[in-house]
Amino acid sequence: MKNEGPPLQQLLHRITATPPDFMAEPRIGNKGDVHTVAVVRDLLAAKGHIVDIAQLSVLAGRDVKTDRNRLSIALLMSWLLADAALIVERQHLTDVLTLLNEDAARLAAYTNSRQLFEDPERREELARLTLSKLDLRPAGETVAQAQDRFTSISSLERARLLAASQKAEERARAIREQLAKQAAEESANKWTRE
Amino acid sequence: MLALLREHPNAPIYRNHSGHRLAPEEVERARQLEDEAVRAEIDWHPNQPPQWVKPFVERCLATSPFYRRYGAMPRAFTQLPTLTREDLARDMPYFVPDEVDVERLINFRTSGTSGHPLLLASHPLVAAQYLGYHKRALRRFGVRLRHGRDQVGVILLGVQSICFTYVSITPTMDDSGLAKINLHPNDWRSPDDRAKYLEAMQPEVIAGDPISFAALLDIDPRIQPAALLSTSMTLMPALCDRLRARYGCPVLDLYSMNEAGPIAVFDSAAGGHVLLQQRMYIEILDDDDQPVATGQRGEVTLTGGFNFCLPLVRYRTGDHAALERRGGDLVLIGLEGRPPVKYRRHDGRWLNNIEITHALRPLPLVQFSVHQDASGHIAVDFVGASVAESEVEHALQMLLGTETSLRVRRVAGFDRKIIQYTSALPGAQA
Repeated sequence: MKNEGPPLQQLLHRITATPPDFMAEPRIGNKGDVHTVAVVRDLLAAKGHIVDIAQLSVLAGRDVKTDRNRLSIALLMSWLLADAALIVERQHLTDVLTLLNEDAARLAAYTNSRQLFEDPERREELARLTLSKLDLRPAGETVAQAQDRFTSISSLERARLLAASQKAEERARAIREQLAKQAAEESANKWTRE
Repeated sequence: MLALLREHPNAPIYRNHSGHRLAPEEVERARQLEDEAVRAEIDWHPNQPPQWVKPFVERCLATSPFYRRYGAMPRAFTQLPTLTREDLARDMPYFVPDEVDVERLINFRTSGTSGHPLLLASHPLVAAQYLGYHKRALRRFGVRLRHGRDQVGVILLGVQSICFTYVSITPTMDDSGLAKINLHPNDWRSPDDRAKYLEAMQPEVIAGDPISFAALLDIDPRIQPAALLSTSMTLMPALCDRLRARYGCPVLDLYSMNEAGPIAVFDSAAGGHVLLQQRMYIEILDDDDQPVATGQRGEVTLTGGFNFCLPLVRYRTGDHAALERRGGDLVLIGLEGRPPVKYRRHDGRWLNNIEITHALRPLPLVQFSVHQDASGHIAVDFVGASVAESEVEHALQMLLGTETSLRVRRVAGFDRKIIQYTSALPGAQA
């Protein structure tokens, strides 16, 4: 975060102005509209980097049910990264790919592209996360301020992720146990059975 | 009531226990839901999701962990992924919405024929709601249920060497009796008790499948039910006619599944299975999850339903039909379980399995299976005591020609559910 980037407000505004193409259905197999791999490749080319397609293979997705959300988030991130004020230096290329692959998947575990677009807190989370990958801080903030804010957002994010996954797993286990308890008694009182 | 059902001198050996499990305050709610099911209008048109669908899906995406993985609501409903039985088998607990009280869950189990046994989350109020859809179906045929206290409302029939049997009551019918019995002689002190018991109980409704109804015809009790409800497998029209003639009451063929409850009832006047649930949107999809044009055949796909523990969003049932609005009804035309299979005649012409169904329709078969092997030989097994092998053979030769290699065999029985149409010939999957 040693360098100053654009003002936070500019990035937040950019997110709210995401064009429909970047909110369209990511193409997975023969379904969906937008090829995420092509979008990311074009984005990086526009920033001066030619990336081997194999490095982007994760962005092709395989299963609509499990990959759609993270690819939708990766598309939103691509739109944000395309801001002319964000320069992707060679040494940050790996971090940018991590953002699009791994961070998008992590965010997908507890939020979605619509919330990142609509919710002011989530928008800021996305903007600061993106800046951090480019080693930038919002214009007008000191390194300490930016670091402090980012840390608090990150810890909130970790807590959300943990809570979401723990809660889901605990509940799934409780449901399985409850149904196993009932298994011997079958379902009661249906007037027909299938 | 329970004592009467259990302790009658001719009663079967009841092997299990069960009950309605409704909390006192839920009984009134169950009654309201029944009423709603009977009266509701089903007024949408094919390929036009009704208004409730969007908020329903949004709620699923927000509150059900499985659907939450999908992310945000897409612009078009048809961009949502579809589900299969495999998804339910693998991830069932994640379908249960966050607000459902785990302690109240009960389970519906199904073995099925697709290799994915299911254990599904349900709730006493869901089990209770079946009756509302049955009542809706029965009204179509002029039947209004009247049995109440000290009478038997329904007896469910099974015929298996081992069968889950129990007695219970239906609270929304003034605690009328409900019994699930096994007609297999194993469960009776004397085989003659079966007819005597049914005659003593005089149930208003008998529910079963074609196999248990065929057994009922053999036992031949003197009973006057108001209706018979058939589920689980295709009820062939000739068997339906025999049951109707014997008992002088409507025989309803219900399209029903554990995942969704009673979906439709067959009505020959409507030309197919008439939809029953007001909160169930049905699409007919091609292999790419896209809706086919109205009137074309495809896979029956469900969204909605009354099991609030297991909300369905584009659930591919594996069953095939066309969907049309006919007058006031939405009707599944030519409903067939599982994907279509084609059969090759000796002259190379392919026939769809639905043509075989039509050819066998006049015969009172209980159940049948048709398999074509890699050499083109067709083997047909059937259950149906009153049908000669030569009759089945003749009906099929009319369709397949006499030169197609064919073997027809009557068998004592199948496993409870079979895959009816199979083929080892390349290109047979239509």
